[in-house]
Amino acid sequence: MNREATADALGLHERASATTPERVGAPREAALGSAPAWTEGKLDLRTQQKWFAAIVSTPQHEPAPVDEGSAVRLITASATLSSLERIDIYRRGYHARLIECLVDDYPVLEHALGTAAFEAHCRRYIARHPSSAPSLNYFGRHMADFCRTEALPDPAFAADLAALEWAIVLAIHAPTAAAIGFEDLARVPSERWPQARFQVNPSLRILRLAYPANAYLQAYRQGKPTVLPAASPTRVAVYRTGRSVWRLELESTMVTLVESLQNGATLEVGLAGVQALLQHEEELEIAKKIRHCFQHSVASGLFSRVLL
Amino acid sequence: MANRFQLPNLGIGLGLRTTHYSTILEQKPAVDWFEILSENYLRTEGRPLDFLDQIADLYPVVMHGVSLSIGSSDPLDWEYLTDLKALRDRSRARWVSDHLCWTGVAGKNTHDLLPMPYTEEALAHVIDRVRAVQDFLGAPLALENPSSYAEFAGDSMREWEFLGRLAEDADCALLLDVNNVYVSSKNHGFDPLSYLKALPFERVVQFHVAGHTDHGTHIIDSHIGPVIDPVWQLLAAAHQRSTGVPVLLEWDAEIPSFQETHAEALRAREFIGASA
Repeated sequence: MNREATADALGLHERASATTPERVGAPREAALGSAPAWTEGKLDLRTQQKWFAAIVSTPQHEPAPVDEGSAVRLITASATLSSLERIDIYRRGYHARLIECLVDDYPVLEHALGTAAFEAHCRRYIARHPSSAPSLNYFGRHMADFCRTEALPDPAFAADLAALEWAIVLAIHAPTAAAIGFEDLARVPSERWPQARFQVNPSLRILRLAYPANAYLQAYRQGKPTVLPAASPTRVAVYRTGRSVWRLELESTMVTLVESLQNGATLEVGLAGVQALLQHEEELEIAKKIRHCFQHSVASGLFSRVLL
Repeated sequence: MANRFQLPNLGIGLGLRTTHYSTILEQKPAVDWFEILSENYLRTEGRPLDFLDQIADLYPVVMHGVSLSIGSSDPLDWEYLTDLKALRDRSRARWVSDHLCWTGVAGKNTHDLLPMPYTEEALAHVIDRVRAVQDFLGAPLALENPSSYAEFAGDSMREWEFLGRLAEDADCALLLDVNNVYVSSKNHGFDPLSYLKALPFERVVQFHVAGHTDHGTHIIDSHIGPVIDPVWQLLAAAHQRSTGVPVLLEWDAEIPSFQETHAEALRAREFIGASA
């Protein structure tokens, strides 16, 4: 139950960029198709932009929504490239940038699916969820749900892996908070313990996964062999302290305690919930496990403040 | 001689890239200033802002955006502009820049710098929007000439005329990217010096230099690799016409070590003398 840090470079990929990236080897996928009606006469700004965007966002290896003869009405040919070939530079760049963004957010999902399959998956994602925000920070947010709808080898595992990787992204962008330690707790008067409330780290998310996606992710990061695992429920906390993002597999007692405190319960109420979970165990064992549960939660940095 | 907007000559700067964060914070190298990509610090409350806060405490910062979409026929995104203004205040950015381009239409964002049609209609549209943005920011906006790979069939003027008239009529600043001038001159077949001659240099408040990738049939503004000599020569020509403005190197892919990137930026001294 040791917590594991994600690679420190994770999430540091350059998002915004004033360049046009290029990517080769694009597979076929469904067309987005949103070109306006092509009318005779002079094209106004909006019509020009809608046409240009329609061509750029049409998946690669699909025919452009206009033929070369019509494209020259929009874009001139150069000495070396036809009108459509010139627009195609932007078309390649559009897909390449968004794929790059998803590769950055989901490196382990890419590993699990394989590079070519993941790229095809991304192209379908881009067609289904085109960006409408000025920032790419949350472009990949639909990936776990998207995996469930796709004909992947094991969509439920892919969805769990995506949920775990997305939780890491969210932890990176969540507010930074300090973690309290035992020295902070030592300053709490003993008579105030039962009614103490704990502010849980604001970046913390507890995931309930059907597959051991965290073990898979950890094996990948450590360069160990990875095998698509059998279903086995796990609960994983993902959170950040300072610059480090952590993943911690939780026992049910810790889930109960942390979620209870996260919902504003006092420590007394939270620990009572843990005790109820352990009711069939020996009294000494219960006390030992409650103490361990609380101490491990504190030591792992799950709490950022004691509220008295 | 100062530029029209009295914006300072910050010297030779670097585009702030995430791969250099640790080196910058640990070694605190002597760099004149950094240019940040605004969108990397928007819609986040976490780690990117932690880094930025620390770097902005150590160095002057300028904001360079890619999502203003000043040329789009969609309405301006006021939520984005509000965030941009808040980021400027937080980072104490000396000025805010973006590109003469559009990035999307009908509510979708391509996250690419798409080319403008250079028409009277587009010019009037962009002038109105630049004025609105400047009013909102309470400061001049610097617009960068883009690299482009396509020209609209309906164009009624060249890019330099569009940019010059826009700057005068909207009373905005210009960020002159000499690599973009070079790239577009090759892609569209014009003389880059003619481009420079047509610009109102008293409005130029910053230069960009960068590497690019030649694909034979066209050149992509990839921001990869060192700056080639013809681009440095264009910088020298632009600098002679300027009021003495800061120079910034952009390096966005296959980024080398901080030291190597900074050394490349400092090559600008060979072409502009000691004035920056």
